[in-house]
Amino acid sequence: MNALTKGLMMKDKAARKIKINILRFDPNIPNDRPRIDMFELEEAPGMTLFIALNDIREHHDASLKFDFVCRAGICGSCSMLINGRPGLACRTLTSTMEPEIMLAPLPLFELIGDLSVYTGNWMRGLNERLETWIHTQEEVDVERLEERMEPELAEEIYELDRCIECGCCVAGCGTIQMREEFVGAVGLNKIARYRLDPRDKRDDDDYYELVGDEDGVFGCMTLLGCEDVCPKELPLQSKIAYLRRKMVEVGLNKKD
Amino acid sequence: MKHDRLHKSVDAYLKLHNSSTPARLDFVQSVTGFILALFIMGHILFEATILISKDAMYAMTRFFEGYYFFGETYPGIISFLAAAIFIILIVHTLAALRKFPSNYRQYSIFRKHSAEFRHNDTTLWLWQVITGFMMFFLASVHLYMMMTNPGDIGPFASADRIVSGWMWPLYLVLLISVVLHTFIGLYRLALKWGWFEGKKPKESRKVMKKIMIAAIVFYIGIGLAALGAYIVIGIEHSDKVGARYHPTEGGQQ
Amino acid sequence: MKVTYTDVLVIGGGLAGLRTATGVKERGHDVILLTLVPPKRSHSAAAQGGMQASLGNSVMGRGDNEDVHFEDTIKGSDWGADQKVARMFVNTAPKAIRELAAWGVPWNRVKKGGRQAIINAEKVTITEEEDAHGLITARDFGGTKKWRTCYTSDGTGHSMLYAVDNKVHEQGIEVRERMEAIALIHENDRCYGAVVRNLMTGELVAYIAKATTIATGGYGRIYSVSTNAVICQGTGQAIALETGVATLGNMEAIQFHPTAIVPVGILTTEGCRGDGGVLRDVDGYRFMPDYEPEKKELASRDVVSRRMTEHMRKGKGVPSRYGDHLWLDITILGRKHIEKNLREVKEICENFLGIDPAEEWIPVRPTQHYSMGGIRTDHRGESQTLKGLYSVGEAACWDLHGFNRLGGNSVSETVVAGMLVSEYISDFCESEESAINVSTSVIEAALKCEQDKLDRLINNKDGEDTYVLRRAMEKIMMEKVGIFRNGKDLKEAVDELEQLIFRSHNIEVTRSKSLAANPALVNAYRTQMMLKVALTVAYGALLRTESRGAHSREDFPERNDKEWLNRTIMRWKDPDMTMPTVSYEDIEVEEMELPPGFRGYGKDMTIHHPKTEERQAMVDTMRLQTEEEGLDRIEVQRTLMPYSELLPEKYQGRNERLDERFDDER
Repeated sequence: MNALTKGLMMKDKAARKIKINILRFDPNIPNDRPRIDMFELEEAPGMTLFIALNDIREHHDASLKFDFVCRAGICGSCSMLINGRPGLACRTLTSTMEPEIMLAPLPLFELIGDLSVYTGNWMRGLNERLETWIHTQEEVDVERLEERMEPELAEEIYELDRCIECGCCVAGCGTIQMREEFVGAVGLNKIARYRLDPRDKRDDDDYYELVGDEDGVFGCMTLLGCEDVCPKELPLQSKIAYLRRKMVEVGLNKKD
Repeated sequence: MKHDRLHKSVDAYLKLHNSSTPARLDFVQSVTGFILALFIMGHILFEATILISKDAMYAMTRFFEGYYFFGETYPGIISFLAAAIFIILIVHTLAALRKFPSNYRQYSIFRKHSAEFRHNDTTLWLWQVITGFMMFFLASVHLYMMMTNPGDIGPFASADRIVSGWMWPLYLVLLISVVLHTFIGLYRLALKWGWFEGKKPKESRKVMKKIMIAAIVFYIGIGLAALGAYIVIGIEHSDKVGARYHPTEGGQQ
Repeated sequence: MKVTYTDVLVIGGGLAGLRTATGVKERGHDVILLTLVPPKRSHSAAAQGGMQASLGNSVMGRGDNEDVHFEDTIKGSDWGADQKVARMFVNTAPKAIRELAAWGVPWNRVKKGGRQAIINAEKVTITEEEDAHGLITARDFGGTKKWRTCYTSDGTGHSMLYAVDNKVHEQGIEVRERMEAIALIHENDRCYGAVVRNLMTGELVAYIAKATTIATGGYGRIYSVSTNAVICQGTGQAIALETGVATLGNMEAIQFHPTAIVPVGILTTEGCRGDGGVLRDVDGYRFMPDYEPEKKELASRDVVSRRMTEHMRKGKGVPSRYGDHLWLDITILGRKHIEKNLREVKEICENFLGIDPAEEWIPVRPTQHYSMGGIRTDHRGESQTLKGLYSVGEAACWDLHGFNRLGGNSVSETVVAGMLVSEYISDFCESEESAINVSTSVIEAALKCEQDKLDRLINNKDGEDTYVLRRAMEKIMMEKVGIFRNGKDLKEAVDELEQLIFRSHNIEVTRSKSLAANPALVNAYRTQMMLKVALTVAYGALLRTESRGAHSREDFPERNDKEWLNRTIMRWKDPDMTMPTVSYEDIEVEEMELPPGFRGYGKDMTIHHPKTEERQAMVDTMRLQTEEEGLDRIEVQRTLMPYSELLPEKYQGRNERLDERFDDER
């Protein structure tokens, strides 16, 4: 029998009471002011913030705004500040925290209300700005055998393709707090991803046009908040460093 | 939407190409920082030769004044070195300035972020900003003095400057600032360019951070000890300010 | 009154909706895509395991082709699928995957030479051919003859969704996020768009379009435990149903996935078993070979789910405070494989169970997973009864899956259907019949009707609590319309749901009275919709007195082709009624390329259709004859059941394979 079964079969110990403090504000209500509401719940085994917040909505305050979609750590909808640190609420077990928990919406993004922020809008803007799609003139003939690719390369691309655009790296980035035009780790990782992909015909000069400035890779101050909060554990530190080396190479060889 | 697209394409048409300046600045900031770091690592060790003996420190001074190359001392070499470092420092500062909060609003946003986030590397950056800012002044004073009075280096001359010239408070703060700034900077430099990443960058980073802390402790320790030694000498020598040191028999060559 | 006009309105931003939008845009039509959440957050991202397409590159997939894929799909559907649609699908799937490869999906590739794999709990070495090196590889999935499921690690849906959404960005398609279609606008059996609610501001806007496409996914959330994302609430099916004109098909066909974790119901991919994982009971005993000696853990999903339930009923489940469960053992695959190819699974185990799946077994049990039923369409994706309304993906009953879907066929369906249906929609938009002849008074009335409903919910006094109704519905569905069904429970379920619908007319939104971003209000109107959807499921299940695919009646264990070789069609004629009207659409044996037979699981208890034998004989003779004439497999197929003229011209071509190279080999 493993640890979990023991956990599941265990007789109920006296359940812990947890206090969840939530920073609340509804921009749709005129004169609404930010405030902190406290909700007290009885902790259940295996309780995540997804379960806790839905419990609050069902039993305490039906107007509480937050976003969940997959509730499995896959879609990136539910990022928020959990005790000051950006993270995915759906896969945060309450048992891993002190009984008093503070939740706040992700900073920098447009606030919809309470814990709900509009990350999608921001990410779309970023994708359009960095043109995160395969650039090629080649027409694909879908009836023919597909273009070959080295298996290791495909895996390497997937490694960077795993980004879920949750915005945690943005919220954890000190640079972007001061300079909102900065593309952030999410943007730089995407450039690294397309740069790796032989199907994208852009070269380093093209990428330099996209991230070869202070809003791009040279704006990064290597605070590594991104690396440390990324729920997908993407290799952000090493990919940004790599991109910096490549972009400096372009920049130094460039004739203005 | 169509309008947006059109707008976008006009923007694209008007957009100036990214210039090479940001790349150069980024590169220059790192290179100058690296040179300054190497300099500081040597500098503190050299001045700490006082902990071995006055003779050792004297020999070191003579070495830098070119005695062992030319047979006599040229304090001008020190002036030249100080001027060179000063210039590198100015370049480094100018390049690094673009990363500084450009107004109080930015600074307070960052402070707040750093306080809430409680993320070590973010906090360290704030330390770098603060120490960098202090060094603007402190290092400038120090370097200016070295440029203008290059001969005033030696077991007694330095000690007099520190005690009777009332430089010790400045040097104390400068020492701590410069050591912190140097090693946090080197740590960040390694991460920034991906040095010593190895197969597991996360593990390497942990190791590097440990090295950084060890270096800070070591250098502040040795620096404080040396400063202490000069202070002791300076106090003992306070009645003979201006008198130069003469090595003991066999203390040289 | 706010009205927006466009050529094509797509409701739903998952893979199916996005691919439809790109296809329509490519043909030069304006398109607006509405979505509840940013498209990259859609439930398509949760499809971990893979996409079926008969490329036949891997040595374990060699010899695969459309014919084998077709046969697997039809058998998997328990002969409930539309065979022509299935043919269209299997012929387009390889094209879809190759298109996606060009759009940037980093499909895992064949690596030449030997590699270790686990098959039937034993280590074997698979040696890949040199000529396949670098082509898209595939893994094994349940219910398939060949290894056909192409994948990117276990983030297939994620990678596909991102690639297609990026294509949408490239094309500059207008995507309006956090918008919910709450009613369709229609007149004289013609759909003209939808009344749409902005979930951030609460504003209602009418979107008027030549063609309206519903791509809102399934309705799993009518069950209390489901692998589905929380937004898979069946509102797309509901708004179609509420027109009183459009119909829903086979709503009772609900798939239960064998391996969702206990208690939260998050999916662990079929790839776990495909890659060699096994199921164990309370004693650690691997029980599946006893029930299904041939396919074992890799029998069709419906079969495995039933066998697991049977086994637990025999007292072999592992008791827990959340009820019984079984074990999924992937420790035998080794840490390296798990950390590379089953990484999402590992993360899920760590984050939600606190266990390391390379060391410990995963607690699983069958859980609601997929909705085979949906908005009934013809092969062109258009509603059979409401012109101008299209539906694609899980939202639709196109009908590719019949009564049970094969793993890996759903993400495949989303893109294939998007490719094909976008062409039909474009054809429609280019025809004269697409003219928008709707009067402003109709639009205005539709808007007002919806506004009134919302106002009523907010202003109601002493009404019902939404959550009470919602939880009651979920419980009924879970307990009485589950894996094994029987007449008594289903009758109770139908009666109780009808009661709930009656009560739902009197819902009161409590505690929060805002008409803007207000989760309580959203929950209220969606619950009203979900109840209707739930009732169509329960009612369809009650009436269908046979067992077919995932619909399993304990009181009618045999598949009854004689009486039930048909689709259940539901319509809700009058919004004030509390029951749908039901009719049946026959599935014609005479037209089948693959007449009904034995699926090969358990004991054959089929009551055959009177025409099956005759059709089978005819198919056999034709096959023999044409093969003697020296026709190739594609020409033989053509004589049995011609379908290719149903496809848009650009997708009618053959698919090149290593074993079937085109003549002008590059």
